[in-house]
Amino acid sequence: MSAPSQSLAEHDRLIAKLESIGTLTLEERAAIKALPLRVRQIAEDTDIVRDGDTPTESCLLVEGFLCRYKMLPDGGRQILAIHTAGDIPDLQSLQLKVMDHSLGSLTPCKVAFISHAALHDITRAHPGVMALFWRDTLIDAAIFREWLTGVGRRSAHQRIAHLICEIHLRLKVVGLTDDDGFELPITQAELADALGLSTVHVNRVLQDLRRDGLIASRGKFLAVTDWRRLEQAGGFDPRYLHVR
Amino acid sequence: MNLILQPVMVDTGEEGEACLVFAEGWLVAVLVRLSDNHAGAEGFWFLEKGFGRLDCPDPPSFSDLECAQQWIREHLEIHRPPRWPGDQGHT
Repeated sequence: MSAPSQSLAEHDRLIAKLESIGTLTLEERAAIKALPLRVRQIAEDTDIVRDGDTPTESCLLVEGFLCRYKMLPDGGRQILAIHTAGDIPDLQSLQLKVMDHSLGSLTPCKVAFISHAALHDITRAHPGVMALFWRDTLIDAAIFREWLTGVGRRSAHQRIAHLICEIHLRLKVVGLTDDDGFELPITQAELADALGLSTVHVNRVLQDLRRDGLIASRGKFLAVTDWRRLEQAGGFDPRYLHVR
Repeated sequence: MNLILQPVMVDTGEEGEACLVFAEGWLVAVLVRLSDNHAGAEGFWFLEKGFGRLDCPDPPSFSDLECAQQWIREHLEIHRPPRWPGDQGHT
């Protein structure tokens, strides 16, 4: 059994993520290792940047789960994306100066802020790094398309099975899964906000998936006990994640 | 507003206790009693389905049927359609 690599240094986390979707030369790896980072611990349910902000740095997620979300006037929340270690969820603020949504923590997180100046420097000096950031942004858009398809046309069962498959695979390619599962310390209310469901429906479907032997839970650890049937239940085709 | 509750069984994969809610003779909601599977909300009445003005993306649960009926009345009164039997439109 391969232990999840929780202790990767901040720069290595970014390198692992970029190398899951492309290749880096030795020079590009060295340039990433030299990026100045400002490392912070963030409590759960904490905003990092808010809708309307004009940030001057972007945030590399080192440990934990972040989400991008929008609030509605009636207090409702739509979670637009769930981010895993190695992601830079607000990379877009490098080009789009005003945030059109918020970024916050779902769990306690370790994050590393990278100044926009440093990101501009590395992308000018290393077009290969820029190409991988662009590729990552395009994959981000592919994930949005998949989520939109799910919210619009998938059943509650399919949406939840699909999201579990997606998070499992995204964590796996950066070495953060155990052999049979992963830590998913996300509440049912947060899953509901991500999937456009009620917490009641989320709870029912999770219990169905457990009863049918597709998943099992041990505290915050979610074990995928029948990957093939879970993929079928969610109609999951990993092509949109474009992993190497 | 006169609400009538009619007990039914609904196949949600849980215990099934539920009721149809009629307002002025129109079916406006289906409430389902949550089973022990819902820790912290067991026994609550969940708005399984609201029709028309009660159709909402994040349906609430209520601690008892009285609370549920109060919420239903409030939401129906906000924009009462002028089509129910005996209605003369908005008042």
